[in-house]
Amino acid sequence: MRRLVMIAAAVLAWAATTDAGLAQDAELEGSAVMASAQSAEASERAAREEFRSLDEEVQDLKKEVLDLNRDLFLLEEELLFPANSQVAFFISMDVGEYFALDSVNLKIDGKEVANYLYTDREVDALVRGGVHRVHMENLKVGDHELIAVFTGKGPHWRDYRRGATLTLNKGIGAKYVELEITDRVQKLQPEFEIKEWE
Amino acid sequence: MIARRLLSVALCLSLAVALLPERAASRDINEDPIVVQDPHFGEVLFYFYQQDYFPAIVRLLAAQKQERVASHIEESNLLLGGLYLSYGHHLRAAEIFQELLADNVQPAIRDRTWFFLAKIWQQRGYVDESERALENIQNELPGSLEAERQMLHAQLMIDRGRHDEAIALLEDWRDKTEWSSYARFNLAVAMVRSGQVNNGARILDDLGRMEPFSEELRSLRDKANLALGYAYLQDGQPLAAKPPLQRVRLAGPFSNKALLGVGWADAEVEDYSRALVPWMELKSRNLLDPAVQESMLAIPYAMAKLDSISQAADHYLNAIEAFFEESNRIDSMIELIESGYLFEELLAQDAHGTTGWYWDLDKLPDGPESRYLYHLLSTHEFQESLKNFRDLSYLHRNLDDWQGSVDVFRNMLDTRELAYNQRLPRVETSLAAADLDGMVARKLDLDARLNSIETNGDALALANKREFELWGEITALEQSRAANADIPEAEEVRDKIRLMKGVLQWDLEREFKARLANIRRDLRETGEALVATQRSRRQVDETMRNEPLLFQSFNERVDGLMPKIDLTKARVDSAMGRQRAYLQAIAVDELRAQKQRLNIYTVQARFALAAIYDMSATTVGSTSE
Repeated sequence: MRRLVMIAAAVLAWAATTDAGLAQDAELEGSAVMASAQSAEASERAAREEFRSLDEEVQDLKKEVLDLNRDLFLLEEELLFPANSQVAFFISMDVGEYFALDSVNLKIDGKEVANYLYTDREVDALVRGGVHRVHMENLKVGDHELIAVFTGKGPHWRDYRRGATLTLNKGIGAKYVELEITDRVQKLQPEFEIKEWE
Repeated sequence: MIARRLLSVALCLSLAVALLPERAASRDINEDPIVVQDPHFGEVLFYFYQQDYFPAIVRLLAAQKQERVASHIEESNLLLGGLYLSYGHHLRAAEIFQELLADNVQPAIRDRTWFFLAKIWQQRGYVDESERALENIQNELPGSLEAERQMLHAQLMIDRGRHDEAIALLEDWRDKTEWSSYARFNLAVAMVRSGQVNNGARILDDLGRMEPFSEELRSLRDKANLALGYAYLQDGQPLAAKPPLQRVRLAGPFSNKALLGVGWADAEVEDYSRALVPWMELKSRNLLDPAVQESMLAIPYAMAKLDSISQAADHYLNAIEAFFEESNRIDSMIELIESGYLFEELLAQDAHGTTGWYWDLDKLPDGPESRYLYHLLSTHEFQESLKNFRDLSYLHRNLDDWQGSVDVFRNMLDTRELAYNQRLPRVETSLAAADLDGMVARKLDLDARLNSIETNGDALALANKREFELWGEITALEQSRAANADIPEAEEVRDKIRLMKGVLQWDLEREFKARLANIRRDLRETGEALVATQRSRRQVDETMRNEPLLFQSFNERVDGLMPKIDLTKARVDSAMGRQRAYLQAIAVDELRAQKQRLNIYTVQARFALAAIYDMSATTVGSTSE
């Protein structure tokens, strides 16, 4: 606005040397500029208030949708994997210096049930302590054989593929199984273990 | 408990908070480690570390509702607050922190959390809330955060017009980092605004002469020089204005304004030839910049002053034409914005569908409209509104997906219920045929008989079939008439029969205990199997009783959630509409202001041109006379 006044004043001052009447227009324009500055301030204030009101509405909606998602998430899980037959398989990593995970393949009673390829972001999340629920299954009460095959890069960045197995006794109630990748420091090798989450 | 990866989470909140700003202090990794004991808590962290805040929050809320994070109650509440904060749900985050931060958290983490909350609120225009959050900070923050906090505090005071308080705060600045330069700049601003112009100018002059060691500081130096130069120009001191304006870099965000100012400083002392040098440089630059636009009028103005009337007229004509074209482009841009597609296009650049707070558009869409948006995008107001619009789009897509899923749930439930009702009669028939009570009675009878056999030492009762038949034959022989005849041969037969009977009895008695134990074991196993069968039966009965209730409960949940999704989606749609309209209004207002400026320049150029023509006509007239 200041620049505007400056150029307007400069141009009009020069022009006024030839026609004095136009200088009045410049003054009028100056008043209009002032009035427009005040109205801009008022509209800015109104815009701020509108922003806040919209922001509060978005905050409310976020809460509602999150709560709704929680209920739907639980409904889906309970519907697809009833507590009595539910078995959840979690992947975790401890340290992970000797193994860079690429994928995990899961077989239950000889049948392939999951083949998960990890992104760099996911591997990073695992290394930092996140636990990934790689698969959920409904299993009958009794013994089941679980085989997990881990693929990735081992020590010296060589291709590495290792399996681990567990005979899983499914009772009544949900069961959580942990597929854990740890570092065996003494042998400078990764270690893969499947165990029931106690 | 299974020992799991040791997290460096001094309460997860420190991580949540540390992840918030891109340039935040590094994560605290020297705090006491905790062990992930509940897999569902680890699962939340898995999403949190990927900065997928929405799914992380949903999983944590679900795990809390099902009491699956019982070993991490305190951490999970704080993590939830941190997740809300990262997600941009700042009001809910503040509620949680208000409840939890008082006692449960280390002061350092608590203070840092309030600081980030204050920062977010300041950006969103929640000034009161931001100030209150700052008041909650009790100790000095670590590293550069403390300087940033002071700066935020001063900024809030300046925004509220409390310049004297801001000056007092900034004058006491003890920090020696780059923040001190920002503090001095803000101090100068506060001083100028409170009328201490000379003091403010002195500080700006100091800043304008500093030797910067980073791009940010170079930019700040340019800003200080520009502010000082224009302050002198406004004060009618063109000679004093020139040195600071000339210190601004030729290529930088403030260079155009500086070049324009240098030109005006020369023009003010009527050195129009010199004034033309920076203005001609500006002419080749981006016409969108107001300084460039202004230079298009300033050039012919200077030329006219130098009596190059014909060239001045040409330049005015060029300016009028350029302004006209630019104005048309602005009209097209306004049309594009009002069509509503622009913001969807902007969001389409965000391939990951990020839901985090610290999200910026790092690339503008290709196209002629992009150059108009740089200025808008640099404002908090537009950025935050665009974030809200992005979040609403995410919520819309999320609800859209759930709408489809809930339909599938409904079908699944119907199919499952139908299958159950079809199987039920067959199961009931099978259950009715199984006489479990009769089996139990028979088992008890067998127990009683075995007890009696044991008490009586009745070894024959445990004889096998062959032994029993043998015993029968021997007994029959023993009682036969021939065996009882009174002849010597008969005596010999009786001896053999006695011997055979004795051997058989010996065998039976010798095996008696082992056989008794075997039978008892079999009976016990039978009893256990019967108990298991009874338990299974009870479970079947319970399932048969509960299944209809379960179906009813699922049906009620699905029926309840379906309209809720529809209703919430409608509200999200409506909020999206309002948010879009708001964004459009900001953008269109900005463009209209640009157009209005061009219109004014056009009018002034036309007027100056007309004046030139008049003057030429007058000159020609007087010459001819």
